[in-house]
Amino acid sequence: MLDTLGSSLKDALKKLAGKSVVDRAAVEELVRDLQRALIQADVNVKMVLRLSQSIKTRSLEEEPPKGMGVREHVLRIVYQELVSLMGASAPVDLSTQVILMAGLQGSGKTTTTAKCARFFQRKGLRVGVICADTFRPGALDQLTTLCRRINIPCYGEKDQTDAVVIVKNGLADLHQVEVILIDTQGRHALEEHLIAEIIEIARISNPTHRWLVIDAALGQQASDQARGFHEAIGIDGVIITKMDGTAKGGGALSAVTETKSGIVFIGNGETIEDLERFDPSSFISRLLGMGDLKLLVERAEEVISPEEVDVNAILRGRFTLRDMYKQLEALNKMGPLRQLMGMLPLGGMEIPQEAADVTSTKMARYKVIMDSMTAAELDDPAVIGGSRIQRIARGAGATPEEVKELLKYHRMMQQTLKGMRGNKFNLQRLMKRFGRIQ
Amino acid sequence: MFDSFKQKLKNVQEKLGTSIQTAFTSPPPAEASLPPQKAEKRSESPRFVDKVKTLVRDRELILTAKDIDDPLTELELVLLENDVALPTTDAIISAMRKDLLGKHRSIGSSIENLVEDTLRSALLGVLGSGLDVVSFIRSREKPVKILFTGVNGTGKTTSIAKVAHYLKKQGYSVVIASGDTYRAGALEQLATHAQRVGIKVIQHQQGGDPSAVIFDAIQYATAHTTDVVLADTAGRFHNRANLMSQLEKIRRVMKPDLVIYVDEAVAGNDAVIRADEFHRLVGTDAVMLTKADMDMKGGAAISITHTIGKPIVFLGTGQGYEDLRPFSPTALVKELLGEAVP
Repeated sequence: MLDTLGSSLKDALKKLAGKSVVDRAAVEELVRDLQRALIQADVNVKMVLRLSQSIKTRSLEEEPPKGMGVREHVLRIVYQELVSLMGASAPVDLSTQVILMAGLQGSGKTTTTAKCARFFQRKGLRVGVICADTFRPGALDQLTTLCRRINIPCYGEKDQTDAVVIVKNGLADLHQVEVILIDTQGRHALEEHLIAEIIEIARISNPTHRWLVIDAALGQQASDQARGFHEAIGIDGVIITKMDGTAKGGGALSAVTETKSGIVFIGNGETIEDLERFDPSSFISRLLGMGDLKLLVERAEEVISPEEVDVNAILRGRFTLRDMYKQLEALNKMGPLRQLMGMLPLGGMEIPQEAADVTSTKMARYKVIMDSMTAAELDDPAVIGGSRIQRIARGAGATPEEVKELLKYHRMMQQTLKGMRGNKFNLQRLMKRFGRIQ
Repeated sequence: MFDSFKQKLKNVQEKLGTSIQTAFTSPPPAEASLPPQKAEKRSESPRFVDKVKTLVRDRELILTAKDIDDPLTELELVLLENDVALPTTDAIISAMRKDLLGKHRSIGSSIENLVEDTLRSALLGVLGSGLDVVSFIRSREKPVKILFTGVNGTGKTTSIAKVAHYLKKQGYSVVIASGDTYRAGALEQLATHAQRVGIKVIQHQQGGDPSAVIFDAIQYATAHTTDVVLADTAGRFHNRANLMSQLEKIRRVMKPDLVIYVDEAVAGNDAVIRADEFHRLVGTDAVMLTKADMDMKGGAAISITHTIGKPIVFLGTGQGYEDLRPFSPTALVKELLGEAVP
């Protein structure tokens, strides 16, 4: 996720880092690369031009603070401007509230509604959902099925065609719950009768929050749509969905600017747990390849004890089979490897496609195979030869080929991790520096 | 539809026109007094002597980079603002630059036409030729099998209902295979649509094997001499290897005559990446763009066809079953350039 934007930005910054003097030409080159990267990420063209203009002016005119090199000064400006582009994160409080979800057709409102319900449920609140989509066939079935899986009440009326009536009845029916989420039909800003309908829903439900759900792939159209919704019901938060694809969500940034709100959540997968809180500064850090240890730690605390994954050992490049075993164990709780790696400060390192695609069933097989290894083998896979492979395979009920495949996978991971050390552009130092100046 | 895009294109067109007009009416006097050998040093641009020669002898004009740079940069921004992906924009601009630069334009020819022709040929070059689904179906052996693919939430299921309705109106018998066995509510959604437009649906339970459903639908079509089989699939992201290989299996089992890739007209740069991946992994024969009623910018159409070189067959333009328009590249270009659509 965000790979492409991240790596082209990183390239642009790297080019600058290679220069000994920051002159006009170097800044212009950086700005041009930034522009291309951001436009390719669907960020609004006007926003990009404004941003690059202000980076250029500030870089060339502002005196760097005492003790800070020119290069760091420019990087800092880029960082600050990018943060201001992202907007602040919209607040999520855990009080009694009504939340109205709005968005275009097919942006993922229903799935996101269920994910948000799950989020509040995990925070220990009583949650209820109202299905106010009277248009799309199967919408109620979809939401009911999703809610049943997590034991959350879902209010809907099969033959009712007036969404406003459903909302009214639903609010009465769910008066005992603390958080009510209202899922609405997909609509776009030009459909006047549907906009009138959502205004009416907002009027009678008097929602605490009105969240706009935006597909990460939405292009330059995002500003206009967001403006339409904002004028109708006053959007106070944006959720970006489908961030697990290759789209970068730049369109959603335009929506944030347009509504003067912030991003609440990021949806990054098909299961009900795939919802992330949004934190703009860590978002950028990840973008620039400086890693996001804060988020990693946050998530790790929620699901596993810290000693389970020794991030520091991995960062030092010592990655034994044992580390891999721990990683596999944590996998189900922490999400796929690619997501995990995205949070580490790996500085633009790409994970080979094959490594990231190893499926969870295969991971489970690997664990079984590693269970039949000795402690020595786990610590130093180099000792494993032909006869040991035979023994391990017999013990695990696997074929020798599978054992070899596992060893190959480990080697691949190890090499990838090694590759990021000795990086000319010392990211960890840079990260520290950013930590200081923020 | 396309209104804002059209307006902006018009502006750029005019600017290009004026800029060429300026170059055309006033050959810079300063340059005229330059000694010829100095001009010769600029090896890339046409030689000064040539310029004078063509201007005087052939009454023609050579366009220089300077004449067209500004308007082209503006055109570039217009394209980008309208969701034409960056690589595609680059391709269009460089095609136009190549076409305009150094060309001998005779004084008699209209500048308006010159610019319009260049822009039209650049856009048409990108959009390629269209494909008429109805005549395609007529030409193939029955049942004609059509597979719909695409990422999540682009409107595959609704589109299938529309296409089924459209084909039924054209006098073909249709059966739909409910191949989205993953998403909650997908079966119910398709069943309701099909019931409304009066078309048979073959479906299994949720969580079943989509290939099996589609296979059954083809069996049904063969047994009942149905003309067309439309197969729905679950939305999937192109970076999920296992889901993509499932789709590959579906294609292997179904042997479709036509694979239609569905995407939304409002998608930005990512449209290109995923269209390309889908095309690479499972193949695509034609493209359908949905949600074109959202005052779409038209960029996705241009970038997708440019990337995978496959025609767009339909535009989805609303929530009703009638809201489906067969797509024709010449009509789109004509509309964009503000000509009357035949």
